[in-house]
Amino acid sequence: MRIPCPLCGTRDRREFTYYGSEDYANRPAADAPAQAWDDHLHNRDNPCGPTRDLWYHDPCGAWVRVHRDTATHAVHGSDLVAERGQA
Amino acid sequence: MRYSGLRVLTEGLFGNKGWKPAWRDPAPKAQYDAIIIGGGGHGLSTAYYLAKNHGLTNIAVLEKGYLGSGNIGRNTTIVRANYFLQGNSEFYSHSLKLWEGLESELNYNVMHSQRGLINLFHSDGQRDAFVRRGNAMINQGDDAILLDREGVRRHLPYLDFEQTRFPIYGGLLHPRGGTARHDAVAWGYARGADRRGVDLIQNCEVTGIDIENGRVTGVQTTRGAIRAKKVGMVVAGRSSQVAAMAGMRLPIESHVLQAFVTEGLKPVIDHVISFGMGHFYMSQSDKGGLVFGGDLDFYASYAARGNLPIIEHVMEAGMTLMPMIGRAKVLRSWGGIMDMSPDGSPIIDKTPIDGLFVDCGWNYGGFKAVPASGWCMAHLMATGESHPVARRFRLDRFATGHVIDEEGTGSQHNLH
Amino acid sequence: MAELIAKSPGAGLHLPVTRGGATLAEWLPGAITSVAPFAGAGDKVDAALTPLGMGFPAPNGMAQGKTARIVWTGRGQAFLIGAPAPEGLGAVAALTDQSDGWAGLRLAGPAAADVLARLVPLDLDSFAPGTAARSLLGHMALILMRPDPEVWDILVFRSMARTAIHELDTAMVQLAARAAG
Repeated sequence: MRIPCPLCGTRDRREFTYYGSEDYANRPAADAPAQAWDDHLHNRDNPCGPTRDLWYHDPCGAWVRVHRDTATHAVHGSDLVAERGQA
Repeated sequence: MRYSGLRVLTEGLFGNKGWKPAWRDPAPKAQYDAIIIGGGGHGLSTAYYLAKNHGLTNIAVLEKGYLGSGNIGRNTTIVRANYFLQGNSEFYSHSLKLWEGLESELNYNVMHSQRGLINLFHSDGQRDAFVRRGNAMINQGDDAILLDREGVRRHLPYLDFEQTRFPIYGGLLHPRGGTARHDAVAWGYARGADRRGVDLIQNCEVTGIDIENGRVTGVQTTRGAIRAKKVGMVVAGRSSQVAAMAGMRLPIESHVLQAFVTEGLKPVIDHVISFGMGHFYMSQSDKGGLVFGGDLDFYASYAARGNLPIIEHVMEAGMTLMPMIGRAKVLRSWGGIMDMSPDGSPIIDKTPIDGLFVDCGWNYGGFKAVPASGWCMAHLMATGESHPVARRFRLDRFATGHVIDEEGTGSQHNLH
Repeated sequence: MAELIAKSPGAGLHLPVTRGGATLAEWLPGAITSVAPFAGAGDKVDAALTPLGMGFPAPNGMAQGKTARIVWTGRGQAFLIGAPAPEGLGAVAALTDQSDGWAGLRLAGPAAADVLARLVPLDLDSFAPGTAARSLLGHMALILMRPDPEVWDILVFRSMARTAIHELDTAMVQLAARAAG
């Protein structure tokens, strides 16, 4: 599996550390109910097919959101977590 | 048909014409008292114990492929009861006792071999941890023997004791640990359940779960609707998809774990060897192949195959531990889909939907749990109460904080 | 006060060594300063670097001036190598002296890329001269630069110097043996 880093280009999978579902990037408000935190930390759609999950590109230090397929290991693209929500 | 040595001899004399299929191939009925979704090891043992322990025989196991087509046939067959934490240790202890009686219980040769499991340690700190673990195992009523370096050498003289990165300080021997023939476990439970009247329905994929007023009423399948007041989801590897049919999101992330087998060799490895620091473990099958594996590939996957970096890592670890295996040719590698829970421990529990039960989250250790998982899931489905040895495998334990973190690394998906 | 003997990271590690078409030598890069521009200060950082004849590099980029080199080393970070930080740079970027944190090696010769290919998970055929990358050397963190077609400059953590040299030399031996066979 090769994964595109938006900064460095497409790199070998071993340069990346996996974090998990992009749910981890959507942090509830500090005063959100416990159920929201449980969902954020533990409960997952866990799709068999297209997914978006978070990987850390160890060499360059970028958090990357990868669009890929859990059934085929195809990788479709990625973007920087730091630029989420920016145009 | 009862299997015996005499039967084998008699059939041999008469051209083996008297053997019958080990189970029927029934069409689904319109209604059952209970339905088990999933015809793998856990589903089949659940059905068996529902019939045997609780007298529930009007039940069906629904399997979308063929019996035992999932992880029960894709694992590395290790059976052990060397857990440390309350919650896990009584459960796996119970499971090992069931294993020890399984062949006479099922009248089926599952080739259970208690050849001994040795967990290696490589530092004083790790030794202390294994002493504690060994004491916990003995307190639980199981067996554990602490081996020093020379003790390990007597059992495993072929290891590289002088390696500089992880010199071997000793090991914890679990004499009752060992292996079993993985497919045979599924087949044995299938035959046992069928003989007690359970309908094992293959090529029958569940496509929906019917719920009315918060109660389960049955399932939709590719072979029609089937009604039942109790439904158990026993589909580790596809748990999230099946639970989604009931509108649930589970604390499960699916990961791929690879395993490897070499060409058949003469008997050389008598034990199960676990080299935790190198993420490597190995045993030798009765057919002679060295069966070994390592850590997860570590990304969510349903592909049932892995990537090369982990293969390289596993081979490196194996060569570090026992350089002699470098001459063995690897025949196959494959991947299984692991139901990973945040704390690395399983779930056997009711769901918020009345009559719907879930058995999932077996991480990378479901095989040894097959007997007790079925035993406890059957108890839960029949009585509505958790079995005492599985009472901590709660679905809501991540919300309540009552986690069972055997590894001691935390309770989050990226930590196990 | 005791007079300590300064040693380079590669001292006593039997360099340089030539095997087949590749030579591995210690490379002493001099001062290394990590430059992390403050938010929105990109233009000012470029201006402060102008006296050295360079600007802040793009990802996978490096620039070679007369006395110094600057190389991209990560998101929002570059290493200024071979010269002290110019005046005014500290006001627009976070500067950290990393001079003693890294071991420099130079692998040169027609077989150098083939040696690296055994250890670095990059497509070195498309690694243009004058560019750089952060990647891995075996299991070690790596900054790889290609100042000239047959010259590869390598930075690894100083504590990894012995391992890096061992790994590179092993690859050189194996490659040379294959070529000789």
